[in-house]
Formats: sequence, C-alpha cells, structure tokens
Amino acid sequence: MMSSLFARTVIAYLIVFAVPMILPVAFIKFVGLGGLRDLVTYEARDTPLHKLDPRLKVLYPIAMGVLSIILSWDFMLIVFALSILPWFWLRPSRSKVRVLLVMVIGPALTGFWSQGLYYLPNPPIHFIYQFPWTISWLGSPGITAYGMVFGLQQSARVLVTVSTSMLILVSTDVGDFTWAFERFRMPPQVGFALTAALRFLPDMISRTTLVLRAIELRGYDLSRPRWFQVNKWWNYIRRVGRCVVLITVPLLVGSLRGTTTMAMVADARGFGANKRRGSLREHPLTAVDVGGYVVLVVLVGTAIVLNHFHIGARAY
Amino acid sequence: MVLITGLSGCGKSTLALALCGLIPSRVHGELRGRVTFAGRPLSGLRPHEASQLVGMVFQNPNLQLINQTVQSEVAFGPENLALPQPEIATRVNWCLAVTGMDGMRTASTVTLSGGQKQRTAIAATLAMRPRILVLDEPLSDLDPVGAQEVLGTLRRLARDEGTGVVIIEHRVDEVAPWADRVVLMDEGRIVLDLPPRQAWADQARWAGIGVGIPDMVQLAHALPDAFTGSLPLSVDEAVAEVSEGWLVPALAQAASARAAARILHAGNGAVSGQSPAGPAGSPASRSDSGRAGYSPVPPVLSWEGVSVDFDANRAVDDVTLAIGEGEWVAMIGANGSGKSTLTGLTVGLGTPSAGRVCFRGNPIKPGKVFEHAAQVALLLQAADEMLFEETVIGELSFGSRFRALPPDPVLDVQGAIDFFGFRGLEKTSPWELSQGGRQRLALAALLVGAPGVLVLDEPTTGQDAERMRAFLRLLQAVRARTGLTVLTVTHDIRGLASKAARIVLLGEGRVQLDGPASEVFARTSELARWGVLAPPVARLQCELLGPAATDVLLSVSELAAAALSYHGVPAGAAGSRPARTAGSIPASTAGTP
Repeated sequence: MMSSLFARTVIAYLIVFAVPMILPVAFIKFVGLGGLRDLVTYEARDTPLHKLDPRLKVLYPIAMGVLSIILSWDFMLIVFALSILPWFWLRPSRSKVRVLLVMVIGPALTGFWSQGLYYLPNPPIHFIYQFPWTISWLGSPGITAYGMVFGLQQSARVLVTVSTSMLILVSTDVGDFTWAFERFRMPPQVGFALTAALRFLPDMISRTTLVLRAIELRGYDLSRPRWFQVNKWWNYIRRVGRCVVLITVPLLVGSLRGTTTMAMVADARGFGANKRRGSLREHPLTAVDVGGYVVLVVLVGTAIVLNHFHIGARAY
Repeated sequence: MVLITGLSGCGKSTLALALCGLIPSRVHGELRGRVTFAGRPLSGLRPHEASQLVGMVFQNPNLQLINQTVQSEVAFGPENLALPQPEIATRVNWCLAVTGMDGMRTASTVTLSGGQKQRTAIAATLAMRPRILVLDEPLSDLDPVGAQEVLGTLRRLARDEGTGVVIIEHRVDEVAPWADRVVLMDEGRIVLDLPPRQAWADQARWAGIGVGIPDMVQLAHALPDAFTGSLPLSVDEAVAEVSEGWLVPALAQAASARAAARILHAGNGAVSGQSPAGPAGSPASRSDSGRAGYSPVPPVLSWEGVSVDFDANRAVDDVTLAIGEGEWVAMIGANGSGKSTLTGLTVGLGTPSAGRVCFRGNPIKPGKVFEHAAQVALLLQAADEMLFEETVIGELSFGSRFRALPPDPVLDVQGAIDFFGFRGLEKTSPWELSQGGRQRLALAALLVGAPGVLVLDEPTTGQDAERMRAFLRLLQAVRARTGLTVLTVTHDIRGLASKAARIVLLGEGRVQLDGPASEVFARTSELARWGVLAPPVARLQCELLGPAATDVLLSVSELAAAALSYHGVPAGAAGSRPARTAGSIPASTAGTP
C-alpha cells in the first residue's frame, strides 16, 4: 500500500510542502506583527552583558561571523555553542525568547530542509526518501541525509552571526552603539541611521497593525480560512494581496508625516552641527572588557593561524 | 507663560514654526517680516542655533522621541553640540529633575505613558537650554492626570527657572490659571493679545470667531451679580469669589428642588432603575455594590465577568457591564485604565482571559473583526488610518463591495452623502478634505454598514471648540436619525463625556463608577482618585455645596439659569441679564466646549 505510486506521491508532497506550510503558521502563531515589533527592541537590565564596553559588543558579532566562515564544521560547533551561551547570561523576557526561537529556528529549519531536498552529493546518492516521477519534475529527486547535514552546517554558520547580533541589539542601548561607532571614527550619520531604524521599525510595525485593524473594521475580510478549507485559501490570498495595495496610501501618508517631524526635531537638536559629537556615556575599560577583548583576539588569531596550517579549515 | 489659541487652521502651528526659526529653513514657505530674539533675527540662524534660543515641542511626542531610553533622548541635543561629558551630564540631570522624569532615566521610550513621553520631549528640548519653550498642543493626547503633570512641569519652569513658555492649546480651561498673556488668532492674524482677564472680558469677540473660553469665565459673564470681583480663571478662584454671596444658597435651593423632583419622578414609577437613558438613583460603585453596573433589558452590548491579561499585567479585571438599546454611554478613566481594551473586545479585537462579551446576547468571537464590524462600528482615534480609497464615493461604498449589506439600511450611500454634507464632493479625494471632513467621512463610511452600535475612540482629541461642537451636533443628529446606541471612550470630560447620558468610570481595569453623568460628576473625590477631573462647572458646585451636591448641572447655561431662577429671575433669562461687557452668553458658546 505505502509503496504504491499514489501513497508515495502523497508522502513526497507532504515532505516537500511541510516546511513552507509550517513556517508561516509558526510565525503567525508565535510571532505575528506584534512580536516582530519587539524583536529588535532594547531591554534595559542590570546584567554584566549590558555593562560591557560597546566597542567590544560591536566587534563580537563581527569576530564570531569571521570564525563561522573560516572554520570547519567540527570547530563551528564550538563557535555555535559560544554564540548561544551568553543568552543564558542575559536572560531575556519570555516573550522575546519565544519570538527569537521562531525567528532562529525558522531559517535553520528552512536551510536544513531545502538543502536536504536540493543539495545532491556525487553519485551514488543514498536517499532517505526517493520521490516518484509525479513530483520529481519539481527539481528534487528525493531527500538526502547528506544534504540535510550540509543544510544544518550552513544554517549554523548563519545563526552564529544572527544570534550574536540579536544578543547585542537586545542588550545595548542604541546610544552606546553611536558612541562605539564614533570611537571607531565612523561618521555620526551611521549611528543616527541605526538609531532611526531601531526606533522607527517598531513604530512602522505598530502603524501597519493599526491600519490592518482599521481595514477590517471597515468591513474588509482578512479572516484566515482553516487549514482544511482548501477552496477558500485562494480567495484569502487574493484578499491579502489586494489589502497590501489598499493600506499603502495611509501607511505612506503616516510615515511621511512622521519623518518630516523627525527631521525637524533632529535639526532642532543640533544633529550635524559638528563633525564630532560629545557623549553622556563614559565607558572606562574594566577588567571584564579587557578579558573580552583578549578572548576575541585569541579566538580569531588562533583560528586564522590554524586555518593557515589547514587545521580546522573549512573545505571549499 | 503665553497661551496662543484659535480655530484649527488659523496659523498657530505655523507661527510656532516661525518662532523657532524652522520657516523657511525646514518648512517650505515664504517668510515676510522678521522673527527676532533680543534683536537677533532667528530666521537667519541654523536650526540648532535657533533651538538654543527658542525650543519647540511638537504635538505628537511619539514622532519626536528618536532614541531608545529617556536619558539618551535628553542627552541627544547636548551630544550633538559636542559639549564636554560633565556639561552633558549636568544638563541631563537638570532636565530630568525639572520635568520629574529622574526616576525613569533608563526606561525605554516605547514603554512610557502619554504624559511621560510629553515630559521626556520637553526635557529633551530643554537640554538645548532654550530661553523660550514653544509647545504645540502638548495636552491633546493626555488624560487629565497627564495634562496636570505636564502643566505642573511648565509652571515650575516658568516660575523657578525663568523660562518663557508659549503654549498653543485648545484646552483653555486647564491652561488659563497659569497664563500671563492670551493670544487669539484668526485666519492667520493675531486679533487679540492681552492678559487673561482682559482677553476674556469681551466674550462676544471669542464667540464671533467660535473659540471656546474657560467655563468659569463664561459663568462670571452669565452671573455678573454673583461674580462682582475680577474674572475667575479657575474653579478655586470662582469658589473664593462667590462662597459668601447669593450663589451658594441659590444653587442649594436648585439642588434640593432637583432632588425632590427626582424622588417624585421615581415615586410615580417613571424610572424603575432600568432606563434606556441610564440607571436611576445614585451611580453604582464598587464600594456600594461590590460589582458595578446595571442591567438594561435587553442589553445590546454586555461584558460578563470579563478579564484581559497582557503577559503578567491584568488590563481588565472582572468587568460586568451592560449597555441598553439607544443609550449614549461615555467610558472615562486615566490612561491605561482599560477603556480601549474593553471597547476593542466588542469587535473581536483581543481575547478575554475570562468571561465573555456579547452583542444582543450572542457571544463576540475573538479575532473575528470582519464579522463583528457589521454589528459594531468602531471609529478609531486615528480616523485618517481608516481611509483607503481615492474618492469620497469610493470610501462610502467600500463596505458594500466587500460584504452584503442589509436590504433596508438606515443610511445608504446616497443618504450618507446628503446627511454628512458630501454632495458635490463625491469624486473628491479624501485627502483633500479637512481633518474634520475626513473624520466625518470615516464615520459616514462606518454607518453605511448599518451597525447596531457605534463605538467612538477619542473622537474629539485635538479638535478646537468649533469642531467639537460640530461633531457633537453631528453625533446627536445621527442618534436622532438612526436611534443608534453610542459608546464613546474619551478624556474630554468637559466637552464630550458630560453630554452623554451615562458615565462609566474605569480604574485599574475595573468599573469604579457607573451612572448618570450628573451624578457621577458629583463624586469629584472618587473621580480624582481614579485620575479624572470632573468638568469645572461640576467641581464648582461640589466645592460650594459640599456633600449636598449629589446631582450636578453640567453646563454653564444650565447652572446660570438654575441659579438665577432661585435668585428671583425666571429660568431661561440668563442670556438676557447684563453681563460684564458683552452682556450675555452667546448661544454658540454657552454650555459648550
């Protein structure tokens, strides 16, 4: 029965479409627009991580990103663990953990799954499940363990940078970033651009939520069909597509008004008046900071040296 | 402290931008004449130079908070000026202390209340050390408590720090006691610039333009025999002036007569405790009955033991409330008291953690906004966000294109065009209408959907007296034509809430008071406890009559007429008595915002 063409086709379609169907559902269920708004917001707390030298925090994701690129998979596992450990130190709020998990696991699952389907080793290929001709015309002859492991490795490499960047965004006031950029001799506009983005992304998401709410209040049906109401899904997708067009004008008008005021406020507060800026913050270098710098330098230096001697180097 | 007031669109905000040197450098326009500070022309200065002389706080604090924490926001200006760290720290500490935000310096700006955001914006502007602070409608989004916080801060700045303060505001009642000068603008010109008492001495001039004046000033004009001294600008001043005069016994007699009439009325069985116009007797409070509210039969909207939690915070706590067919109920309370959460549930916005919300006995399903929007029309405060089409006619027919409307709607598209005054504007873009016009259009579009209940979330925020009157007239006309049940959520106690038949006061997510407006607003100490100020006229009666004030009159015209009728003058003659200067309460301002 299970080896019949029909059963194999059904199983194959489930394998191919399971992840693309699960991810949007998980996003809507656990994150949503509201969760996305909280994703990059700073959480003011009194942890050692919050007190670290902002320059060290800016360098940390860069260094970890470099390590994730140049090291082989075995060493990458250590780097990956090192990128996860500080989260236990930070202890973010429960809602943020939920959002972060979906946003981290989602892409990892996507990489794992897509590489399992489409990354093919040299023949002979050992499939975990080989697809029948009724679906293999889509481009994948089946799902392989080799591809899945490869996908996992690539996902982990990306996650190292994502995880460390998120960690820093959650634990660093954007003013500290600006301070760090200035110490790195970068123009103040870089810090301001980051400030504006981090401050107004949540606002933009809030406004979008409000407009979506408003359009439903005006009688526009955005209610999702149940998963089994297959005949209603196409109509729902059309309605969502049309909605995007409808909400563009109020979103655009609101955003333009906001940015005009913001530009005037920035001007009135003297932004751009001087090439250099002062700072409220004083970040005297502490022993912990020095330790952090040493660890980063040693890690990156060691990796480069080992890489030079083809130890733990990534195979290209 | 200078108060600038006038109708919306009269040029107040433009004047403020010019005062701060932002015109023409940042706002396109042609500037004729000169704006100078101590002889220095401001328009020739760069914005950051001008802002160290004249600082501006814009209307919406959300749009002017750039940084993530309070102290970063305040430090932003001094940092841009490349000041040394000790100077920046001194300025930040001073600004936070003077605005009362010192305890929240590390708080995230997105978590602040409206009043806190406004105070942070003021602190950030003050950090530039301006000699004059210009504020464009700083109270418009604030509840009474938030407004008092901000005004207290401004008062301290003017009194203790010598900072000049220019406030552009429609809420003149709250600013009047602290203003040294009042500037009235009309059609781009300053038509009056005088100390407050002189400015409001000629009320006919204000009425001619359509701008509201403080209630106590109106009352003094209406009762010149009672207010023989200078014009009172606040309730306290009015109390001090009339407490020894004939007004107190006259009001006491009027109150006794109303109480007697109420008892007689109740004895005749005309009101049985459940009335479409509101409950009889004293307003129910939690202290009276344990659970507030009364039960009109049949209720059109009901909340049954409803609680709503946001993570660990309980926004609504075991609310049981019912609203009868045809009622006009105003829901009031401080920011964060649960008003918007509670009303959002009526269209399926949000999910109760306990209890249920019903429309005509049928439970409202959380998340099914589209379904319930046909029954309950919710007009958001940001009415602009509810407009999606290119033309007025497109907006009005928007709902009918996406859902089936009832065969005999109370208001069809053509009916709405006539009723709301859009004839001839059918092909006009909504964005070419005035702000009031866009709000009218959003309301009209909702009503074409033939709902059973109209829920209005802060519909009069930031509107001048003329617009507020126009909106109230429109609302009354809609009710007269459709018989709709109306629920308004508002901070506008004086203008909107006092016109509703029934008031529901929320505090800490619970119904704290529920009853007729005249009785709820007599309980000033309970209202104050929950962060709400009763209308000035109500507070005056409570101050003068003490515990005897159990049922207060809510408009100046009613109060003046009642007082005069017990002072030997027939009711209704208030307008014919000689007043201080102009002689009468103009119909357009008496008893209105």
